[in-house]
Amino acid sequence: MKNNSKIEYVKLIDTTLCTACRGCQVACKQWNENPASITKQHGTYQNPQDLEWNTWTLIRFQEYTDKDGNFKWLFRKDGCMHCTDAACVKACPSGALHHADFGVVAQNRDLCIGCKACTSACPFDIPRYNKATEKTYKCDLCYDRLKNDQPPACVKSCITGALTMGEKETMIRKAHDRLEKLGGNAVLYGDKFVGSTHVMYILSEPPAVYDKLPVKPSVPMSVILWKNLFKPFTLIGMGAVAGAAALHYLIKGPHEAHEKKEGGE
Amino acid sequence: MSNHTAEMITVTDATERIAHWVLAASCLFCLFSGLGLMFQSWSFIPALLGGYYATMWMHIFSGIAFAASLIYGFFMWVKDCTFEPDDAKWIMNGGGYLWPTNNLPPVYKYNAGQKAFFWCVVFFGVLIVATGLIMWNADFFAHVVARWAFALHALSAMVIGSFFVVHLYLGTIGNPGTVSAMFTGKCSRAWCETHCPRWLEERDGKNAG
Repeated sequence: MKNNSKIEYVKLIDTTLCTACRGCQVACKQWNENPASITKQHGTYQNPQDLEWNTWTLIRFQEYTDKDGNFKWLFRKDGCMHCTDAACVKACPSGALHHADFGVVAQNRDLCIGCKACTSACPFDIPRYNKATEKTYKCDLCYDRLKNDQPPACVKSCITGALTMGEKETMIRKAHDRLEKLGGNAVLYGDKFVGSTHVMYILSEPPAVYDKLPVKPSVPMSVILWKNLFKPFTLIGMGAVAGAAALHYLIKGPHEAHEKKEGGE
Repeated sequence: MSNHTAEMITVTDATERIAHWVLAASCLFCLFSGLGLMFQSWSFIPALLGGYYATMWMHIFSGIAFAASLIYGFFMWVKDCTFEPDDAKWIMNGGGYLWPTNNLPPVYKYNAGQKAFFWCVVFFGVLIVATGLIMWNADFFAHVVARWAFALHALSAMVIGSFFVVHLYLGTIGNPGTVSAMFTGKCSRAWCETHCPRWLEERDGKNAG
């Protein structure tokens, strides 16, 4: 891997190869020094139940019966998708969340003020807020490792080859080759929305089948209205009114108080 | 009637003026700090206020002051700011500000434009406070609710901010003699005859009686 800001990487998650060993989950915690949580047994191997401030990636276990009555166990490694049009970056007031090299959506946590704009803006429901530190957390694709020519910890740990990382075009080509071999319902997920993500899935079933996976994710309309319309027009509106007031003053002049004329008009 | 012109009439009491300035100061501080939180390119504002984290909390506390003075101000001004049929006529004549007119209905305490500003601040003030509370506690709300709170908060800022500039202009250089109403509380008799003739008549009637 070359250290060049113009290069975009894609982490390809081939769910058809995943055995749900959760090595990536452990490697992620270890590399990022995230503490474990005390969890409860809910009758599933999925543990913890959801992403947390200290759990940036999670294998989702899903029991699924297709149209023909065939039972399947679906494993999906959830985590930040590293969008090109990242709603979290758009929403972040302080610049803590930002676009870094390789297509990474990175976080400078020193700048995070815990405003929680990103947690609601993200179409994938990724960033998590920690009340104790008053900051949000999410995967940064092991940006520190990428800068040192190392693959992310999850990719490094993967024993089946379900997780691979490489230059974007190469990985998309690789994904399409794989889809040809798989046939059936298999699809590539990630290249057709939010300006394309830097984490992509090969899914064996249509996206709608998967738990908590949006079929058509997008930067939410509310975020677009907020940042592209209301934000600039707060200044434009105030400026326009100030301009109109100035013109009124120059053309019509101030509205002087006039005394009622005695017995007049 | 020798002192007619020089006579100064008390148009606001101290409570009213204090409520106005608490509302104004908190609103303007919210606007200032809010712009700093909205425009990353204006990071000099958070820098001035002690960083983004401090700015956010000052924004929240100032918002609480705004909410409190808004509630107080609402009950204080709502009676004089309730619309009446003549207000439509005032609006149709541009309040006399935009083109010459002789058809302005005599105003009681506040004209239709001032009433509109009052209701604008009340409506968008409630919206900005409500959405602000949701943003503050976003982790207790569904994402879609929190998301729209952020958007509507900005919308309210846009509306109140723009209308504020109108208020600033008409309260100062646009209407000479007005601004003292919010400092000393006194305006000239001529000013009262121009801006609140019905209120003045009622006051004179009471004083005479």
